[in-house]
Amino acid sequence: MGNNGPRVLVVDDEQGIRRFLRASLTAHGYSVYEACTGEEALQATHSVRPDLIILDLGLPRIGGVEVTRCLREWTQTPIIVLSVREQEAEKIAVLDAGADDYLTKPFGLGELLARMRAALRRATKQGSGPVFAAGDLKVDLAQREVLIRNRRVQLTPTEYDLLKALVGHAGRVLTHRQLVREVWGGMSYEDDVHMLRVNVSNLRRKLEPDPTRPRYIVTEPGVGYRLQTEP
Amino acid sequence: MSFANSAGSSNRTSPALECDSESPKVHPLPSNTRAKEQKEARAQWNPRRDHGAAKSQNQKTEWWVRYPASLALIGMATVFSLLLRPILEPANLLMLFLLSVVISALRWGHMAAIVAAVSGTMLFDYFYIPPFFSFAISDVKYFIILTGLLTVGLVTSTLAGQVREQADAARRREAYTASLYALSRSLAVVNRLDQILEVVAYRISEIFERPVLILLPGDGGLEVGFSSPGLVFREEERTVANWVLEHGQQAGSGTEIMPGAEMHYLPLTASLRVVGVLAVKARHGDESLSPEQGQLLEAFVSQAALATERALLEQKARQAQLLQEADKLQKALLNSVSHGLRTPLASIMGTLSSLSEDQAMLDEVTRRELLDNAREEAGRLNRLVGNLLDMTRLEAGTLRLKVEACDVQDVIGAALSQLREAARSRPITVDIPAHLPLVPMDFVLIAQVLVNLLENAIKYAPAHEPIAVQARLAENDLEILVSDRGVGIPQGDLHGIFDKPCHGARVTGTEGTGLGLSICKGFVEAHGGRIWAEPRVDRGAVFAFTLPRHANAASPGR
Repeated sequence: MGNNGPRVLVVDDEQGIRRFLRASLTAHGYSVYEACTGEEALQATHSVRPDLIILDLGLPRIGGVEVTRCLREWTQTPIIVLSVREQEAEKIAVLDAGADDYLTKPFGLGELLARMRAALRRATKQGSGPVFAAGDLKVDLAQREVLIRNRRVQLTPTEYDLLKALVGHAGRVLTHRQLVREVWGGMSYEDDVHMLRVNVSNLRRKLEPDPTRPRYIVTEPGVGYRLQTEP
Repeated sequence: MSFANSAGSSNRTSPALECDSESPKVHPLPSNTRAKEQKEARAQWNPRRDHGAAKSQNQKTEWWVRYPASLALIGMATVFSLLLRPILEPANLLMLFLLSVVISALRWGHMAAIVAAVSGTMLFDYFYIPPFFSFAISDVKYFIILTGLLTVGLVTSTLAGQVREQADAARRREAYTASLYALSRSLAVVNRLDQILEVVAYRISEIFERPVLILLPGDGGLEVGFSSPGLVFREEERTVANWVLEHGQQAGSGTEIMPGAEMHYLPLTASLRVVGVLAVKARHGDESLSPEQGQLLEAFVSQAALATERALLEQKARQAQLLQEADKLQKALLNSVSHGLRTPLASIMGTLSSLSEDQAMLDEVTRRELLDNAREEAGRLNRLVGNLLDMTRLEAGTLRLKVEACDVQDVIGAALSQLREAARSRPITVDIPAHLPLVPMDFVLIAQVLVNLLENAIKYAPAHEPIAVQARLAENDLEILVSDRGVGIPQGDLHGIFDKPCHGARVTGTEGTGLGLSICKGFVEAHGGRIWAEPRVDRGAVFAFTLPRHANAASPGR
């Protein structure tokens, strides 16, 4: 298979997961490198210079959060974290530490590939163009204009700021804290999370065809929100 | 109540009869009426005050009533005798004076009788013994009459005093019996150890007017089982208490052993062993109990000991039974879990082996079908493991709620998106009132509750029938309902359906560990809400739960 595709470093202490990822990702044209521990991951990042890192959150000794923190000191290589359902607090910690995205085990390959594509896209074209488009939604940051099926939608300034923050990291999960910091400057977390939920709810009412089954702004339970790039 | 009545009714014959007829119920705890009755009881009978000399009625009549009364009686006798003088001889009139002395002795006691005798003698002398209207005595025979009058007064009053004393003693014994009886009756109606300790301590402190402390042996030595309000067990006293527990003898204040202690310690000696230590604290001023009171206290304590032993044995038996039941439950759960784990594994392994071994014989459609099935089974396995983890967290008590104001629509949406394929094939209607305020909850846990309820509905309702999710505000609660048009729930299973592992008809089917619903219950109740199931009008079932709109118990975390 083509070995000139993007280089992916898979860090997981479970051999089964590494084998499955190596086989599937290689088949999709990626060059796959493997590491079993946090130490190995830090070394391999130096030597391999991967385009993307898939990092297990529950590594022995140096955990995923610590690895992310170390990596972020010198590289902005996108990191996608693999976690299990019960690790909400750690998920938030690793995202706040600078990881780009997370996936909950068990996951389907399609889901992983979509996340990888989004992360690589963000990494290659920093500060994406002034216009974001997904499905029927179009956000023109230059004109401060939001369109649904080419019809203008009136947003309050806060709603617009929130949408802008999401567009700025489209496809990627943003934790409550990250959003609060970006939109309100985040002094008191409790009050601002309250405001965040109210504004997300209002935004959905204006943008989503069915706010109960959102297509654009999806909830990551216990973690934050994500603006879907491929609704 | 029973004690107060019987102790107070010293004039009646049988306290036992009276208790039975008047107060069939015994309350272990004091109430307002009890307090009043106690006061009355204490006023009439008080073991601390009335031991020793004869008391009773004339004890209550003050001297300034008694002496004037006997004088007045003598005065009346004099007036009456003067009226009868024309008809009767003075010797006959003397009887009137004698009668007055006897009445005085009986009613007002010893000293009143002497007062009556002396004054009666003097009046008789004054009016009827020559020389008249003078206290002088002219004849020896009149001297004898007067001496007789005085002697009769004294003897009568002494006899009357003895009679009264005997009556008093009888009354006291009766009251003691009554109080012991009251204690045993109170103890008969309570079973729990803490109630027994409370009744004992309450009764003893009521009768002896002293605060009471009950110590029971625990893991780290003697522990306070009950203590009267305001009474503190000081660590310095532990040696005394331990000694009493070890030797089964009294010690401490008022005894010969370690009399310097603050309290008087008595062993709770039951049939098998010393089950604890009871301490009473002497009040300042009157330190020691009378021998009679001491005996009564011992009788109380031995009753208390038996009751305590009974409660301890019962507690042990109950614990053993609980353990046994927990064990049974564990086994049932393990059985159903291992079944629940193996079934999907069997499908997955079967699919994989047929894909790797019979590849040539499978056409594209069959292969697709096998793979879809395996994936579905894997999802089932994943959910089961998630449920088991949730259950473990609930049982271990390590569940920490992260309560934040949440958008109800968002929670329902998150649950729907977690269900993915399963929900996609189903018509699920969502009905949420516009402008529903944010409600405090743990987003992830409540989403899980909804997922479990929806899965349950999907499992038991036919594929084409819609499932309805509804949210509405009640006065203090948010109410969320999940309604299906499935087979419904048998009436008898409505309550037990949230218990684990459920043997109800509804859950013993294909994927039946019954864990999902019991997790719902655990999560909802952790929020301070309620969860229940009811039959739906026409057909199907409604599963509903409430969440308090204002979280006060749950603290917001992050």
